[in-house]
Amino acid sequence: MSQPVRRLRVPADLERLADVRRLVREGATDAGAPPGVVDDLVQGVDEAATNAITHGYAGRAGWVEVALAVNGTDIVVTVEDEAPVFDPTSRPEPDMSVSPRVRGPHGMGIHLMRLATDAIAHRPRDGGGNILTLTRSLVAQPEEDR
Amino acid sequence: MALQTTAEHVDGPEPVTVLTLDGELDAAAFEGVIDTVRGLYDAGTRILVLDLTGLWFVSSAGLVAVHAAMRLMRGEAAPDTEQGWEALRGVRQEADAGQVSTALRLFGVQDAIQKVLDRTGLGPLIPTYPDRAAALAGG
Repeated sequence: MSQPVRRLRVPADLERLADVRRLVREGATDAGAPPGVVDDLVQGVDEAATNAITHGYAGRAGWVEVALAVNGTDIVVTVEDEAPVFDPTSRPEPDMSVSPRVRGPHGMGIHLMRLATDAIAHRPRDGGGNILTLTRSLVAQPEEDR
Repeated sequence: MALQTTAEHVDGPEPVTVLTLDGELDAAAFEGVIDTVRGLYDAGTRILVLDLTGLWFVSSAGLVAVHAAMRLMRGEAAPDTEQGWEALRGVRQEADAGQVSTALRLFGVQDAIQKVLDRTGLGPLIPTYPDRAAALAGG
């Protein structure tokens, strides 16, 4: 029923995103997630890790750690970094009808992250940085746009 | 290598370049794709078909590359990669006005990729064909 937590820490290098995606794909598949759920989790975690590397570290050296666990019928993935504190969940949902000046430039990845998951939570990391928790139900059908 | 690209020129009444994207189009790869498309345009390509048969992941950064390809093939500058939604908004307004261009075409779009295109509103803006022959013929 339960599987051990899978954990991977990579340098803050976009070339290592493929390794992060592989861990999520394998972990979610082994947990029994249907293909649409696996794809969504991979999407959400990739966007989170990309944001941490691109906007969090913004060219500075650092690391991103991803951990995948199964909690009951949920897959829970944490994406941890040591970058300046930034809470993507505090950003309003991008709305194509409002001015792009109000919407801001970086909304697309966060929009995809929200659509791909059931819940996202942010908390500051002890000692500096961020812990973003993405939760997706194993049993849910692949979701349509929300 | 997360992404491999291959360009093939197809002669005909309308010369077309087919650019095959195999693998994963992510934040590590998207700028390379924009550079490739810019090079193809500079070398004379005016209709670009993206073969996505072997593409199984695209992130928001990858969509920026697809959108940039759309712009470049119309002779416009690639959008600032930091623009995100703002750039897409302009395209959507054009689509609403019935000005969808066929200078960039897709075929072989897997379900996972189509889902991402649709979730960002980009899907309906790019002519998508069931197979290579249909994409080359356009229309």
